[in-house]
Amino acid sequence: MIGEDEASNAADLGGAGDLPVLALEALLFVAERPLSRQEIASLSGAPRETVDARLGDLEVDLRDRGIRLLSVGDRVQLSTAPEAGALIARYVGLSGVRLSPASLETLAIVAYRQPITRGAIERIRGVDSDHVLRSLLHRRLVTEQGRADSAGRPILYGTGFDFLERFGLTSLDDLPPLDADVAAQLAEEGRDDSLTSDGDATTDELVTRDPELGDPPPEDATDA
Amino acid sequence: MVVTSPRSSSVSVDAGARPDRATHVRLEAFDGPLALLLSLIEQRQLDVLEVPLGDLAGAYLEALSGLGDARLPHLSTFISVCSQLILIKSRALLPRAPASETTTIEPEDDPEAELRARLVLYKLYRDAAGRLALRSIGNVAMAHRDADVAAAAGVAGAQPPAVRPLDSALLVEALSASLRLAPPTPPPPEVMPRSVTLAERSAIIRTALRSAPTFVLQELLRDVRDRVVVAVTFLAMLELVKMRELSVEQARPWGPIVCRAAPVADAHQGSA
Repeated sequence: MIGEDEASNAADLGGAGDLPVLALEALLFVAERPLSRQEIASLSGAPRETVDARLGDLEVDLRDRGIRLLSVGDRVQLSTAPEAGALIARYVGLSGVRLSPASLETLAIVAYRQPITRGAIERIRGVDSDHVLRSLLHRRLVTEQGRADSAGRPILYGTGFDFLERFGLTSLDDLPPLDADVAAQLAEEGRDDSLTSDGDATTDELVTRDPELGDPPPEDATDA
Repeated sequence: MVVTSPRSSSVSVDAGARPDRATHVRLEAFDGPLALLLSLIEQRQLDVLEVPLGDLAGAYLEALSGLGDARLPHLSTFISVCSQLILIKSRALLPRAPASETTTIEPEDDPEAELRARLVLYKLYRDAAGRLALRSIGNVAMAHRDADVAAAAGVAGAQPPAVRPLDSALLVEALSASLRLAPPTPPPPEVMPRSVTLAERSAIIRTALRSAPTFVLQELLRDVRDRVVVAVTFLAMLELVKMRELSVEQARPWGPIVCRAAPVADAHQGSA
């Protein structure tokens, strides 16, 4: 469906270089998976900057509506507004399990520090986190994002759309800020980095992924 | 900054214990030594940035001893923090050599600073998790379009929520009714235990030996398709070798196993 016959689709959207917000909204509405900005650009024929700008417009337009624009790295997706959560939960019949404190703690570390290896998570928590991490992976709150280029090529973990949806966030920028005092103190002492880079992957520079992509696609996504 | 405990910690003090003395804590599964130490600090309403960590060594040890066997798989991580606390305490108690007073201690050589940094970093994310938890009130905050989920939910949702759930007795009744309808299952075919005995296979080998001076084991088993029979025959052959009735030769691995009757006098060499 999407991705086929891009030229004719571009024509339908009002010509190359143009991407009305309503067309963008319609495209995201019908898409049953997250779309990358690059994919939208090639579908619509609009330049990447236009796509970014229209997505920004759409996000603002949707603020008071029942749907929201979510973004994870390069990809965007429409989701229902958190205010409608109770009703939607009744419709889809989801009965998720409450997360344990250990799961939440691990999830917070992954969310704020992604991409991060299991070793780095365990150094922060001070305890084996394999089981907790696996259960988060199983619930798709944590996703694999590639592998670090360090010895053993450990898996790098991050969060995706399921995480944002679970916590009613539209992007990682929406995460509640970390305790400013503590963060400042850690930065000042230079402790934070020494803890995470010790003997394991430094996640920032050793990541094997294409910087162009911004966000590594999960295994089921097909970026254009 | 005085640390209060804004979040319902998974580590809790036993009821009735005085917080400043408490060492009996309940640790959820998958909580680690840092969670334990931090809870001890917070129960005493101390500042994690300033509390002399060595002072907590005793309380930590006592709390650790009360954790029970369930913590055994992760015990080493608890012991490791424990040893750090004891080191910190011992450094605080012992008088410093005069030389060390003039030399500045590098942060990496200071176990207290290192442990405190770990605690502070851990607390940073534990508190962040608490704030995340506040956002996760329901099970679903947002949902996206998903063809499968929508279709499944559409079918499931066709039933209005006001309808009372069916009585489970109905289900039992329906099941027993269908059991009465179902034809009786035919008795299972009788299973005969198959027996392949060493004696039986030894007898076959002996018979083969009587009809020819030598034979190749593989030839003897040519028509056998049953792995168990092959294995037992092989065992029987080894048994006969042990009893010095038989000598075997095999020129190369996987090659033909040539069996011949062992002359009584040459039994030792024959079995080589």
